[in-house]
Amino acid sequence: MKKFKKSFVLTLFAVVLGIVVLAGCGNSGSSSSSSSESGSSSSGKTKITWALWDIDSSTYYKPLIKAFEKENPNIDVEMLDLGSTDYMTVLGTQLSGGDNNIDVASIKDMPGYASLVSKNQLEPLSKLAKNVDLDSYGGLVYQIKVNKEFYALPFRNDIYVMYYNKDLFDAAGVDYPKNGITWDEYNTLVQEVSKKATKAKGSQVYGGHYHTWRSQVQLYGILNGKNTLVSDDYSFLQPYYETVLAQQKAGYVQDYSALKTSSLSYSAAFYQNNVATMVMGSWFIPTLETAMSSGQSEKFNWGIATMPVPKGVDDGTTAGTITSLAINANSKKKKAAYKFVEFVTGKKGASIIAKTGTMPAIQTTDVIESIASTDGFPSDAASKEALSVKKTYLELPYSKNVAEVDTILNDAHDNIMSGNASIKDELKNASDQVKALK
Amino acid sequence: MEQIQKINKAAKKRKRKENLTAYSFIAPNFLGFAIFTLGPIIFAIILSFYKWDGSNPMEFIGFDNFTRMWGDSRVQAAFINTIVFVIGTVPLTLIFSLFLAVLLNKKIKGRNIFRTVSFFPYVASLVAVAAVWNMIFSPVNGPINEILKTLGMMDPPRWAADKNWAMVTIIFFSVWKQIGYYMVIFLAGLQGISEEMYEASELDGANSWQKFRNVTLPQLRPVTFFVMMMLTINSFKVYDQVYMITQGGPGTSTLVLVYEIYNTAFKNWDLGYSSAISMLLFVLVLLVTVFQFKGEKGFVNE
Repeated sequence: MKKFKKSFVLTLFAVVLGIVVLAGCGNSGSSSSSSSESGSSSSGKTKITWALWDIDSSTYYKPLIKAFEKENPNIDVEMLDLGSTDYMTVLGTQLSGGDNNIDVASIKDMPGYASLVSKNQLEPLSKLAKNVDLDSYGGLVYQIKVNKEFYALPFRNDIYVMYYNKDLFDAAGVDYPKNGITWDEYNTLVQEVSKKATKAKGSQVYGGHYHTWRSQVQLYGILNGKNTLVSDDYSFLQPYYETVLAQQKAGYVQDYSALKTSSLSYSAAFYQNNVATMVMGSWFIPTLETAMSSGQSEKFNWGIATMPVPKGVDDGTTAGTITSLAINANSKKKKAAYKFVEFVTGKKGASIIAKTGTMPAIQTTDVIESIASTDGFPSDAASKEALSVKKTYLELPYSKNVAEVDTILNDAHDNIMSGNASIKDELKNASDQVKALK
Repeated sequence: MEQIQKINKAAKKRKRKENLTAYSFIAPNFLGFAIFTLGPIIFAIILSFYKWDGSNPMEFIGFDNFTRMWGDSRVQAAFINTIVFVIGTVPLTLIFSLFLAVLLNKKIKGRNIFRTVSFFPYVASLVAVAAVWNMIFSPVNGPINEILKTLGMMDPPRWAADKNWAMVTIIFFSVWKQIGYYMVIFLAGLQGISEEMYEASELDGANSWQKFRNVTLPQLRPVTFFVMMMLTINSFKVYDQVYMITQGGPGTSTLVLVYEIYNTAFKNWDLGYSSAISMLLFVLVLLVTVFQFKGEKGFVNE
């Protein structure tokens, strides 16, 4: 009896183990068997799937696809919304299983890009894109290169600019910020407009606004081109933290901890008509235009100036965030996928994206013209001029450990801004942690 | 002789059949467990000795993942914070839920309403209540701090924004959130105590504290043991409260093990290392549970 029991349990265990193992291998097995179909549907059309986020709130997806399908009638593009909050995590998980349903994927940030590259889940593009003029992206592609190879092409490049509330400046009797002001001039401006506008309005006006992202402070440190945020010595960030903390202490800007615990979004903060200036990405332009016309924001006149730069940095330098397109290394329709990537990241794609008020990666004078002529864009010449940049630095450069560095920097920012650690100690701590990464 | 053997055989056959029936009933459940729980657990144990990013080939690295944990300041912080959370949450929840249960077991007016009220936090969506808590405990013009200020406290705590108070805030939140659930378990236990014991102790002249001390508590021992076990294991698994209220911050002051396991696995794609941290949590929970079972003797009814 006992023997039987034992053997039964053993068999059962073997069966279960077998199932588990088979399930584990199932992915690679099934993907190779279905390769004969090569994805073309019965009608002779190839259907490719584009992984992205926020279908509803992004206005350029549909026009892009429509224009592309018109040019390539035998390719259908389908969108797959993975949500914006955890986009890169969800995408990473999807592709990990050897998924070949996704052909083209939007790449949201550098840590996500780096991990997909190191996992060999993105198709190298240097051969496919050998006819593409990489210089047209203003040096951005060089910043995402991994050992001479690159795995994505940018289609959006959101530069940082300073949004300002003209009404508050008028009330304070302070001149509008000019293009090309330095970080120190900006600091003075924040204090001046904060004091004068608060007095004139009789209610609290904040001269500036730093959202809770670490980039809001740390980006100023990299604009001189000498430092990057993957570093083993972060002491170069100290002056910027000192300035921002002083502004916060004096009440010229809103308190970091309060912003964080209330999860107040930067857009909602700007809509309240008590923030005079805010440095934010150009993705905020279409959002702000819509919010003004829909009444989501309080009504006021606004303008755009360039992002303040440290002394000695050339005019026209700014920080930027790119959104790029990559091809799934496991895709069965790479040719069609590349055609789409080439279209979206190329000149035609750029002009379609620009028409919706969004900054494409290729920024020609036509593109700037097109963004400045969207409904609700400030009518003054200086605002339009602020959009022309010469040099863009990416928030994070490519590095093998960029995901870990990102976490370390976030912690440091959080500790410093909430007043839980001294700037010097915390930056030293972050430097040591990055040094310890292998 | 032959006859006996035959009968034996028949009995064996019947027994075998019975066993098979039993196993076939257990099978669906066990198969589910094996595929979705046991399999992954075994895989995680194996994985903790490998370096793997989920895509490239796995690379055996022996105990490297475990030795790496010793020098990892984030894992150390997470380890300590998890233990602090457990030590803070378990006794507080236990005492308050027992207190509530005893109170609401009395025949008072509106008892059902009070029971519902205390159970409500447990039913409410964590995401929604956490957002509300963040507003109530906001360091700048949050109602709690405004009240503390009017009461004369000049410098009230900055709660989730202060590295020394952030964990306290999360412990308060967790206690408040789960108290109702354990109260219901205690209520069920209280209802199982027979009236006669109270009557007998009354005849002996016991006051209400003595009744609680000498009748209620001993009678509740098995329930208390169960609650403590569940509570401890659940507290070690803390993640969602932290995610909603502080995201592990300020700095690493509320970083807990499960949060760090998630981070290393799905942000850094270091699945081997993340499995090794899971093993640390596993051993920790195992040790505590074994310890509790050893101490169970003191809990069980004589």
